[in-house]
Amino acid sequence: MTAPATVPPDGKTSALVASVQDLKVHFETKAGRVHAVDGVSFDIVDGEILGLVGETGCGKSVTARSFLRLIPTPPGIYAGGRIQFWDKEARQVGGAPIDLLQAPTSEMLDIRGNRIAMIFQDPGKALNPALPIREQVAEVFYQHRTEELLEGWNGKPPLAIRRAAGERARLLERVAFKVPPLRSHARRLRRRVDELVGDALAETQIPNPRKIMASYPHELSGGMKQRVMIAQALSCNPDLLIADEPTTALDVTIQARILELIRDLQHRHQTSVLYISHDLSLVRRICDRIAVMYAGRIAEIGETHEVFHEPLHPYTRGLLAAVPSFAHTRGELAAIEGTVPELIDPPDACRFHTRCAFATDLCSRVDPVLDARPGMRPVACHAYSSAQALGVATDEIPRLDRRAS
Amino acid sequence: MVDAAAPQPFPTSAASGPLAVRFRRFLEVARQVLRNPTTLIGLIIIVTLIGMALLAPVIMTPNVPDPYQMPRDWGALNAPPGTVGHPFGTTATGGDVLYGVVWGSRTSLRMSIIVVGITMVVGTAIGSIAGFVGGKVDEVIMRIVDVFLAIPELIFALAIAAVLGPSFGNIIFALSVVFWVKFARIIRGQIIHVKHNEYVDSARVIGDSKFNIYRKDVLPNSVTPVVVQATLDMGNIVLVGATLSFIGLAEAGLAEWGVLVSEGQAGISSGRWWASTIPGAMVFLWALAFNLFGDGLRDVLDPRTEGR
Repeated sequence: MTAPATVPPDGKTSALVASVQDLKVHFETKAGRVHAVDGVSFDIVDGEILGLVGETGCGKSVTARSFLRLIPTPPGIYAGGRIQFWDKEARQVGGAPIDLLQAPTSEMLDIRGNRIAMIFQDPGKALNPALPIREQVAEVFYQHRTEELLEGWNGKPPLAIRRAAGERARLLERVAFKVPPLRSHARRLRRRVDELVGDALAETQIPNPRKIMASYPHELSGGMKQRVMIAQALSCNPDLLIADEPTTALDVTIQARILELIRDLQHRHQTSVLYISHDLSLVRRICDRIAVMYAGRIAEIGETHEVFHEPLHPYTRGLLAAVPSFAHTRGELAAIEGTVPELIDPPDACRFHTRCAFATDLCSRVDPVLDARPGMRPVACHAYSSAQALGVATDEIPRLDRRAS
Repeated sequence: MVDAAAPQPFPTSAASGPLAVRFRRFLEVARQVLRNPTTLIGLIIIVTLIGMALLAPVIMTPNVPDPYQMPRDWGALNAPPGTVGHPFGTTATGGDVLYGVVWGSRTSLRMSIIVVGITMVVGTAIGSIAGFVGGKVDEVIMRIVDVFLAIPELIFALAIAAVLGPSFGNIIFALSVVFWVKFARIIRGQIIHVKHNEYVDSARVIGDSKFNIYRKDVLPNSVTPVVVQATLDMGNIVLVGATLSFIGLAEAGLAEWGVLVSEGQAGISSGRWWASTIPGAMVFLWALAFNLFGDGLRDVLDPRTEGR
């Protein structure tokens, strides 16, 4: 997990679960083309928790949603790049990755919820208010684990039951489930669903899963709803879990428990996690590596302790300095000067130069790339580039005070 | 917390759970609806009228082959209310007003249920396609709906029924053509609102197909205003339907309130008020009751007032 893993040529065993390369997601608006995500690249190593940190509107959610192709395509445009994904088989046997942005819809339906799962920010909004919990968790099994639902039959289950396990039973068949020849089978399927859903819920340490199953979302607390979401997400043992600010909408006390739960289940299921958050202290507790995002770009990537102890990018430094601490309880809170730039048709310049204390003329002319130079973590800042490579005078290179501020 | 993982006896399976919850939710809604006195009055009138419609063959045993045709008592023309055998009086052609009132309620019930059934299904289907598919499909469907909405419903229904000729079936057809658009508009608006909810994304994340998402996530969360509209339309349809039959677009002699009003209207100037006033009052009661009840239902179910 040290140093960013490089993408092996297609066809070789991969230590990566996913690799985002130069991802560009734009939105066509009346005011112009918003470059919400503009050339983002990072890898997710098998079994790690990668934190994607940044302030509101920096494109972290858009990046995450692109994995499952959830961006509505007008107004959104996948303007470039690719997201490669290696499922379990591809990683072990060494198969070719799937490009999530190009995969046909049928393949995406199979990947969603099965190979890549997602937890949303507000569990109160992410559950259907009109369906009992049981049905919402069972959905995953109907979609992806039909065989598992049909285990334990003597001989082949009747066709109608097989269809019901894939949620394709017609109205007439559903009526037929209420009368003798099929009734016992239907009951058995129902028990099987209860069993699997109950297990999935129990794994999230939800109290009294049987009772929860029969409830509607409005009868549960926020923490319980988020546990239901986690149960739903992890019930298929996905290769990658995308957690889009899963604790933001919760109380601080519940946050810690949910965080522990995610960490715990991640260990047990050997799932890789892309953890999106704007809360640095949370990310620090849970993530192995961190990618800092700013205005549609990655500012820097590194192991958690590296980023926290030796932040490279001026933005990361500002961000860390802005975290209030007990050391200075009085006085003004530190903040980064200025505001996030407009992302409509951005100029060819460092996205941060307007707010950066170290910016030189070079920063407003040339866009720094997230360049992994030998012996250095990837960081998109001219302060770490060589004047020679850029072909500019040495004094144009901004000089940073290397101490973490 | 940990003991929760232990298996628990669960004899009736989860199906009874949600059902019980649904029943509780229903009781809760019912309690809220009936707390409002005007809604309660509406409901009482509705129950009475529908009860009358269902029990019509018991209350007024028909002695003619077609019970929906008014029986004629040629021996008692223009009998005032209170006459023995004709408590509500008779019309100029010997039709018993009470019989017309009782069997008229059955006609009204038939008419409103058929029309509401057709328009609700058709309107919901078309509106759903517009809202869920969106884009050009939505645009085209909604422009067609706009055309329908631009014509006043009574005049539109009248034109259709008049072209097709006088018959009860044609009235039902005309009403169906006119009334589906409201449902289409309502459900479309609801679906566009509901489909941007995060739980729809969350269903997509699971890998659910579009139709399943529509069936399980979008539609159930969109139907409430349709139910309210259906209740209101139960009243409006009878109002418009009675108007059409008053003009003479139903078969002559049909036991229908509008027909009775038109039969009796000639006698009003000569003081024979009963033959048209009583059936007219029935139309009024019917429309009033469903509107009172529908308004009360809306107050409870409307998303804007939800979550107080």
